[in-house]
Amino acid sequence: MTVAYNFQIIEDCAKCTYREQRLFCDLPRAALLRLQNIKATSVYPKGALLCLEGQPARGVFVLCTGRAKLSTTSSEGKSMILRIAEPGEVLGLTAVVSGTPYEATIETLEPSQANFISQAEFLRFLQENPDVGMRVARQLTHNCKCAYGEIRSLGLSNSVPEKLAKLILQWAEHPLETTSKKPQETAIRVTLTQEEIAQLTGSSRETISRVLSGFRKKGWLRVKGATWTILNRQALRDLVTT
Amino acid sequence: MNELYAVLSPELRMELAKHEQSMTVPAGTRLITRGVLPEQLVIVNSGKVQITVDCVRNSAVLDVPANGKVFGMRAVISGELPEADIISKENCRITLISRNVFLEIVRQYPQIYFAIAKVLSNDLVMAQRFLKTSSRRSRAMRSTTGSLLSWPQ
Repeated sequence: MTVAYNFQIIEDCAKCTYREQRLFCDLPRAALLRLQNIKATSVYPKGALLCLEGQPARGVFVLCTGRAKLSTTSSEGKSMILRIAEPGEVLGLTAVVSGTPYEATIETLEPSQANFISQAEFLRFLQENPDVGMRVARQLTHNCKCAYGEIRSLGLSNSVPEKLAKLILQWAEHPLETTSKKPQETAIRVTLTQEEIAQLTGSSRETISRVLSGFRKKGWLRVKGATWTILNRQALRDLVTT
Repeated sequence: MNELYAVLSPELRMELAKHEQSMTVPAGTRLITRGVLPEQLVIVNSGKVQITVDCVRNSAVLDVPANGKVFGMRAVISGELPEADIISKENCRITLISRNVFLEIVRQYPQIYFAIAKVLSNDLVMAQRFLKTSSRRSRAMRSTTGSLLSWPQ
């Protein structure tokens, strides 16, 4: 692995230590060799735009490391974050497979590595390798489930505290490893700004700031930079009614 | 030609055609039921359908001309229960393929996954467009009335 600026670049998918944990990447050897030939590895800084909503699809981005936000813009110009993509996800998949423009703008949230595969090469790869097709189908199934979950939640008049509590509890499923002697405390890493959290919950930065302040005053949460520590998980659970 | 067959080889189309069951259903026929694993893939050859996604206090409704659209693919392939009801809005000509038969054909001909991916990606495009337009509508409703109105049926 190439290392520069403390960032490890994974050049060879066959030697990637995360390969077996990731749906798309855990391919048979022959398919991996083919993938190696058709991908272009790039490293992106925080805030890099991988693609723009409405842009004709030119290829997919396999997110190797880092995270990215997928957002869409209303006709009033308001930005709405659809979800946060995690490493291992294939971005731009829907547009490339269906032949439609990218449905969201994808922006990196931190320094990230993504492997770009052009649309023509990816579709050929998909057609020639049923194993790839199966994995793509599984990811699309997962994405559909998330989309329908979002549609269902549109009909709910959740309060902002409830939405924020739900989000924090979701993040707590991937806690930080800490040396805390208090097992009831859960530390999580939150690299989103309050503005981004507002876009994710359909509220404003000021409301998020106020709600977070409320959680801290009640002793439910401790915030120190990008590390949030959940002090009272049950209180957050009690807020979530759906 | 429907969206599944459009990307299949003639050989695979013929294989599926052996197991098809075609019929015409009247308006109001429930083609897919939310929360119930479908026994068949439902291909709507002609006619309009209504897709209803149940939210806790409301329902989100989408009317679509469904010519050539395949319904139930995600549930059949993944075993996950459907989140929407699909009901015919008018007389519809439909083709059914048994879930078990389809899964067996997928096992024998895994190259069919490309076509499955196409169908699923089209489903996702539809869901995302609906999400985008509905989120704008629901925000506008909230800001003008202070509470979420029921969406019109």
